[in-house]
Amino acid sequence: MARERVTQADEWQAWAQRYDIEGGIRTFESGLTVKVFIGALFVGLLMMPGSIYLSYVSGESGAGAAPWVAVILFTELARRSFTTARRQELYMLLGLTGAAVGSGMQYRSFIWYAYFINTPQAASYEIADKIPAWIVPAGDSVGVLTRTLLHPDWMLPIAIYLAGKLLGTLRSVSAQYILFRLTADLERLPYPMAPITAQGATALAETTGKEETWRWRVFSIGSMAGLIWGFLYIGVPSLTGVMMSQPIQILKIPWIDFTQSIEGFAPTGVFAFRTDFGQMLFGFVLPFPIVMTEFLTAMASQFILNPQILYRFEILHQWKPGLDVRAVGLFNGLDFWMSYGMGKSFSLALVGMAASIPMLFKLRKSKKTAGERGSIATPPNRGDFPIWLMGLLWFVGMGGFVWLIHWMVPNFPLSFLLGFAFLYTPLNSYITARTFGVLGRDLFDIPYLHEITFVLSRYEEIDIWFAPLPDEDYGRGTQSWRVLELTGTTFTSNLAGTLLIMPILIVSGIVVMHFIWKIAPIPSAQYPFAQMMWPINATNECLWKTSLRDGNSQMLQAIRGDYVSAGFTSSLAIYGMLWVFKLPSMWFYGIIGGIGADPGSMIARLLGAIIGRFYMIKRFGMKRWYMFNPVLAAGFACGVGLIGMGTVAIALVSKAVIVKPF
Amino acid sequence: MEWNDVQRTIIVEKMEKVASTIIIIGTFLWLFSVIALEGRWQWQMFSALVLTIGIFTAHFWEELRDTDSTEGTEGSEGSGDE
Repeated sequence: MARERVTQADEWQAWAQRYDIEGGIRTFESGLTVKVFIGALFVGLLMMPGSIYLSYVSGESGAGAAPWVAVILFTELARRSFTTARRQELYMLLGLTGAAVGSGMQYRSFIWYAYFINTPQAASYEIADKIPAWIVPAGDSVGVLTRTLLHPDWMLPIAIYLAGKLLGTLRSVSAQYILFRLTADLERLPYPMAPITAQGATALAETTGKEETWRWRVFSIGSMAGLIWGFLYIGVPSLTGVMMSQPIQILKIPWIDFTQSIEGFAPTGVFAFRTDFGQMLFGFVLPFPIVMTEFLTAMASQFILNPQILYRFEILHQWKPGLDVRAVGLFNGLDFWMSYGMGKSFSLALVGMAASIPMLFKLRKSKKTAGERGSIATPPNRGDFPIWLMGLLWFVGMGGFVWLIHWMVPNFPLSFLLGFAFLYTPLNSYITARTFGVLGRDLFDIPYLHEITFVLSRYEEIDIWFAPLPDEDYGRGTQSWRVLELTGTTFTSNLAGTLLIMPILIVSGIVVMHFIWKIAPIPSAQYPFAQMMWPINATNECLWKTSLRDGNSQMLQAIRGDYVSAGFTSSLAIYGMLWVFKLPSMWFYGIIGGIGADPGSMIARLLGAIIGRFYMIKRFGMKRWYMFNPVLAAGFACGVGLIGMGTVAIALVSKAVIVKPF
Repeated sequence: MEWNDVQRTIIVEKMEKVASTIIIIGTFLWLFSVIALEGRWQWQMFSALVLTIGIFTAHFWEELRDTDSTEGTEGSEGSGDE
């Protein structure tokens, strides 16, 4: 019997409904109140140090988890004051606290370049003395050597950063909104990760009311699981790091590398088992077909495609026995996967356009109402903005930013900057908005486009490699607009809160980053993730930044037109054949996500997806499980956040104490 | 039924097959370019062009069919992993 075709419209609509667990019926209210603003500022600034510290210890900033702690404190205060907290208020609190917690990370590049300028790699590639002063002071300056950001040496880099930040806010708010309207309102992409935040806020808001519902119970179960896991994974290494020179890791962070174990039967294959079992919770939430196809494709890539085809035909030619996952990944990337990945990224944009453009053609005739796929109409009282106004703001912000960069690197051809700003950025953002809409994560970074452009521009000065180019990605931010919609928070109140808190965070972020840097050099044994990753990142950065100099660089040779074309065309062929055989288009995103990827990084997520699909759905029923799992994931994030913040606080206090010898 | 509606029905009926055929041709062309033409980028991009036409045709067909179909099918469950 012939398989019935389910159009992509029906497929996406069904998934969107599944994740919109309140059936799309909601009223919108402002979430911004004085108590929310002050609460967010107070708690956020308390947690910011822990977030920065975590990012250097485990590679995860915890900025997504920490705001839950603020929300729990807020709800407890509300209960004891015999008042209630609305979910709009709690979501606003989450957002503002998140911004406060993450505000230290915005100065991360200062610490990175202060490290990079004094690395042996930068010296051996002869670029250490050519790094411009608007990025980092000289390697032998007081500001760098004494590890202090509060020094006049840093004035120029910070001033340039602030100008960029102001223009960046203008651009990001407007572009995110436009992309949200396209992907969520018009295409009705499901945004599977958005309900986690939305349901977490709803669960906690209910605790301040008279009746507690299932949400609070499920949230508590998730929190306890998160507390236990967080203690084992983050707590033990952090606490033992205080007492010992080498911290104890119960499970090796961030992975256990089996690459050398499989090289006998799968040369050029990589398999590094990622030990973060928190990913299981994401497996519960993400669409099962995506997780499954992603894993199967990754397995096929590393155990069949790499060793049996690409290695045999000497396409992967730099591999040698005995290399670890990082080296094999680097060589495989240079030989083939980097070029292939660029091609498949572009296919995603084309597929998105192919799905959207026919809908746009139909819009004029459409009589659909808000909430239906193919309609751009907005729900009443959501606090929407005119699209033309947002477009204008984006053009102003981007124009100003291009002018700033032109001032920094006056000899770099302006046409390339304009190309990045007005061609690449919209394309890249649209790709990411769609991957967030479908997969809930950033599937594709298109990291090599501006490097290729430098190569093509034949601009030989090194300063362009350090300039903040307008190759931006607003797609990630579209998910937060979807969460606002799910929680019934007006867009206008969210924007007002963001603009009010920003000046305070700009100042406090730099002060906190200064103190974190003062505690210990970054990287060092106290910061294992940075210690593991930063040296290889420095080598990569040197390779890129010198790729024009000798005209014969590894990176330059790595980008091959035939491999880029292979990535682009094969991805289109996969998409097309899935359509011909009437298979779900979800599979395409799984296959594209998995091809060339390390399956070891997906095991925890796969485990979560299998448990969810074959046990939880049978146990609770599909509707109830899809109601439970975002709340469970929110609780888990909250538990991990609590442990992370607690242990980091202990570590920071212990390192702030000076032990005297008498 | 008006002449325009008759034309439209015929187009919608044929369009799915046309899209499928173009996509299959594009896929075989790509395989051929990789296996027999040493994966030259020019031939691969030509295959990509054919595939792009096929995929756009497919989506235009979906939207046209969506217009013709009854409203009862909107938002129906039945895709994915059930």
